Parts: sequence; structure tokens; C-alpha cells
Amino acid sequence: MIEPIPTVLVVDDSPTVRKIIEMTLRRERIRVITAEDGLSALTSVADEMPALILLDIQLPRMDGYTICQIVRKNLQFRSIPIIMLSGKDGLFDKMRGRLAGSTEYLTKPFDSAELVSTVKKHLVGWQQRVPMQYEGMRTRLRRRG
Amino acid sequence: MESQDLIMDGDLQTLGLQSILKMLALSGKTGTLFIKSGNETLSIALKKGQIVALHEDSVGQPDLLTMFCLLNRLDPSRAQAIREIAQDNLQISLGVLVEQGWMSPAEMQQRLEFEVTQSISHALRWVEGRFAFHRQVIAFESRMHPLDVDSVLLESLRQADEWEEMGVVALTRSSLVRWLPEVSNDVRSLGLNQDHIEVLCLANGEVPLQGMALALMLPEARVARIISRLVELRLIEVVDTALESELQQDLTNIIIKSQHTLVQQKQNQTPEQHLLGLIRTLSDSINMLLIHHGTFAKSLRGRGQLPIPEIIRYLERRFAQPLQLLAKQQYPIMETATFANGQLDCREILHLDRLVKGEQLEEFYWEAARGLATFLRTVFSTLLNDEVGNFHTGRQLNTVWKAFLTELDREMQQYQIYRARQHTQNARGPQTDPAYYSGLHWSAVHHNEGNSLWSSETQRRSI
Repeated sequence: MIEPIPTVLVVDDSPTVRKIIEMTLRRERIRVITAEDGLSALTSVADEMPALILLDIQLPRMDGYTICQIVRKNLQFRSIPIIMLSGKDGLFDKMRGRLAGSTEYLTKPFDSAELVSTVKKHLVGWQQRVPMQYEGMRTRLRRRG
Repeated sequence: MESQDLIMDGDLQTLGLQSILKMLALSGKTGTLFIKSGNETLSIALKKGQIVALHEDSVGQPDLLTMFCLLNRLDPSRAQAIREIAQDNLQISLGVLVEQGWMSPAEMQQRLEFEVTQSISHALRWVEGRFAFHRQVIAFESRMHPLDVDSVLLESLRQADEWEEMGVVALTRSSLVRWLPEVSNDVRSLGLNQDHIEVLCLANGEVPLQGMALALMLPEARVARIISRLVELRLIEVVDTALESELQQDLTNIIIKSQHTLVQQKQNQTPEQHLLGLIRTLSDSINMLLIHHGTFAKSLRGRGQLPIPEIIRYLERRFAQPLQLLAKQQYPIMETATFANGQLDCREILHLDRLVKGEQLEEFYWEAARGLATFLRTVFSTLLNDEVGNFHTGRQLNTVWKAFLTELDREMQQYQIYRARQHTQNARGPQTDPAYYSGLHWSAVHHNEGNSLWSSETQRRSI
């Protein structure tokens, strides 16, 4: 039987950061999909239902806080853990991230080992969460119907 | 272990492993000798001056049963049966093989003795490190007959010499090799000898060089030589996973830090500040790479903890010449960047504002930024080629590096575009706007949201 592997969505406008995270997580047998701005990030969330989102705060057009709020307001995706990535390490930014609904905050420049351990910590039980998302979608459809 | 059990300790530079072992053997000591160099530790149990057991912390137990299967010496079903009893313990596996009559007791003793010799031979090459001798004997499981220190030392020194004679090699004891996917022709036609063919049989990407040496009872240096030959023949490729993983993590962290610094310097308000930020980013990145290479360079690794002056000498030997060439042929300003303690010292460039101002300062900064960017490329490609070559890890790291260089180039281009515009303005006639050189012009370009000269993220980050 093929063991299912989790999918992580990486949203960052820097190609370097995207490539690094992709390379690092693939070595841990984690599938990685990437998006470089807020709109394509939201499209990927809807299309792929990732098990976790790594989200940069400073993004073109739509910032990470807004994306986080949109995801959290959606019944289908609200249980996806969101790890915010940012160069800002001030308390205010962390609080803002928390208020927007982020699960954890990683400060850039992050250590690749720290990234792996944080991602793995929040991927525990990802297989149980994915059906929950499907369940959310079914509920919504029932309400509509 | 209790501190009162400690009989003696010291550093390997004062008293080498050979002398310590001889001394303990001569005085017929009983206890455990611990030797540590870098992250490697060797424990040797002695009874009345003879070696009774040995344990290496950094090395996993070699899977002799799998290797015997690969060599067609053991049936996989028999290997599985032994594995269930032995639970991957080499001593028990050997014991079962002897009990079942699949190995002679003499061969078992020979193999255990060989393992001890290999480990001591490796530790004899450690230049720096600490040792400690405790009166207590650690209960390592061992079916080995006690060994005479002198004969073990003699063979170990001979094997250590073999490594030294090989000169600079890319292989370490933990190196893994695997068949190249392209190999399809019959290897028998290549005229390889038995040892070469057996190494090929074990080259499955999982058996380390040290394990091959143990299975074939060949000194590690000889196995390394065979592997090098097979690599030359393009039959196998080297995969040192532990080292590659550590190396990859370290280089990845450097690229993350460099990218972060590059993003931070985008917030600078004037062209001088922007260029100065680029110079700082580039010199910091070069220095991080130099520190990295001081740990992972092929000729420095696998030799325990090395004296810092040796690392510095190596780095300067490797990179001082390309830097001088760069200064001579392309960017004369780079003459002011020198090597100090294995690091690139750019202080003179960073303090140029004390000597020149205005347009000339900008000109110097721009030349330095281009020179450093070229040197950064040279350092990374030299380092990657030396450390991992064009293997899987090398290719992956190169992709990430190229992404970083794209971001760096974009930053450099921003300044080039600014310069081009400045020159066009100058060509149109005498400047009437005094604010033009004061940095306000740069600032206006930098902060112009609709200006297509700036990348979207640069515009965004400067808001």
C-alpha cells in the first residue's frame, strides 16, 4: 500500500525562499506546492487542500495577514495550520499574526532544521484533518441544498 | 562514569593515541580509554594491557548479513533468520554464523580484530582531540579474544599510512556509493579484478565504505582506491548521505541568511546606502561561505578537529588567487579587499566615504559591488564543485543558489537602471535640479509605486 504524503503550501514572493523550503521539505517526504502571491495562494488552497500553509507576511497585492483571515473564515479550510514567515520578530507583529489566526510564527532568517521540526509538529494528525475539511464542504452544500 | 575512576586525561597533541596505548599496554592497565575528536568518540576497553573490546559512537553497526547476501555468501532467508535472533548486533550475528557452521571461529576472530584495527587506524589520524582513561571497564559485548596492543598498532599505523599516501581524496569512511543509472554494459568486459567486482556488488547506496572494508576484509584506504577507480570508470557515484545532509543544511541556512540580508538592505533610501547595503550583503555571504568551506572542504573533512591556522591557510590558498586575478583583470577596487583569518576583509571599501564623496564614491561602490558579486559566484561554484560535485545534492543546491542569484541580479539591475537614467538626464543638458544628486531622485524612483523599473516586491517592501 502506498503511504499518503502530506502537501504543504509555501507562499512567499522570494524564489530563493520557495526553492529552499521545497528542497528541505521534499527530503522529509513532504509534497510541496508553491505560490508567489496572495491570489495564487488562495487558488492553491482551494484546489489542493494542503495539510499546512507556510505563509510570508509581506506579499505583493495581498499581505499574509489578509490571506490568513480569509482562510480562517472559510469553514472548509479553517483547520489548516498556518505558519507565518516574516523578517519581523516584534511582539506586535506576532500578536497581529495570532489575531489573524496563524498557528505559529517563524522569524526569518529561519534555520532549516527549525523549519522541519515546526512543520512536522503541526503535521501530526494531518490525515484526520483533511476529512474534516471535506466534511465542512459537505455541510455547506447541505445548507445550500 | 564516576570522576574518581579517572586515572589520566589530556589532549592528543600532547600525547598521541599511539603513545597512550603503548603506555597502557606496557603497564598492564585495566580500564576504558576514551578518545574524542570533533564529534567522533572511540572507547577502547583494556584488560591487563590488552584490547578486549572497542566501540565507536559516531559509526553505526555495519549490516554484515546484508553485505554477505550481496556477495552471495549467505542466503537471504538464512540472513533473515539470523537477523531475528541477533537484532542487528554484529557480535551476535557472527556468533550465530559460527554456531551454524557458516563461518569458522578463526574467521570471526579475524573479522573482530580487523574491525578494531580499522577503528584505531582511523583515530590515529586525528590531529586534535582529548583522551581520558578510566579504571572501570565498560561492559561492551565482545566475543573477541584479547588483542596485543603492539600488533594492533603496527597494522593500524600501516593502514593509516595507506590513507595518507592516497593524498587528497573525496571519500570518507561513511561514503556511500551506488551504481550509476546509465551503466548497462557487461562489467566483466572491463577487465576488473575480484576486489573491484566485490566492491561493485556492495555498491547499493546503503553500504558505507567502512562496511565494505569490513565485509571484504580490505583496508579502508584500499576500498577507497577501488571506489575512486570505479568512479573514474563511470560505473558508480558517491553518496555520503550523512555528510551531504549536514552540508546541505549548512549551505541552505547561509542562503536563507543572505537572502534575508538582501531583502533588509532594500529599505535603504539613497543610492550610496543601497550600494553599501549590497556590499555588506555580498561580503557577509562570502564570509559565511568561507566558514562553511573550512568545515566541509574535501581535503579538510574526515580528519577530526583541525587546527584553525591550517584551515585558514587552506582557504587563503584556495581563494586569494582568484581574488587577486579579479582585482587585476576586472575590478581594481578589489585590491583593497584582503584575506584576514580566512575571512574577506572589506573594511577599506566600507570606509571609502572617508576619502571620497558624491559621484566618485558611488562609482567606487558600484565597482566593488560588481567585483564582490563576481567573487561570490566564484566562491560558491568552487566550493560546491569541491564538496559535492555534480551529484544529486550539488544539483539541488545549485538550483537554490541560482534562485538567490536571480534576486541578487535584480537588485544590481535596479541600480544599473538608475545609473542609465542618470546618464540620460546628464546628456540632455546641465542639471537644473540640485536635488538630483542629493539622493532625492533615487528616493523618488524607489518609492514610486507605479514605476515599472522596480520589481513589485521592492515597491511593496519600501512602502
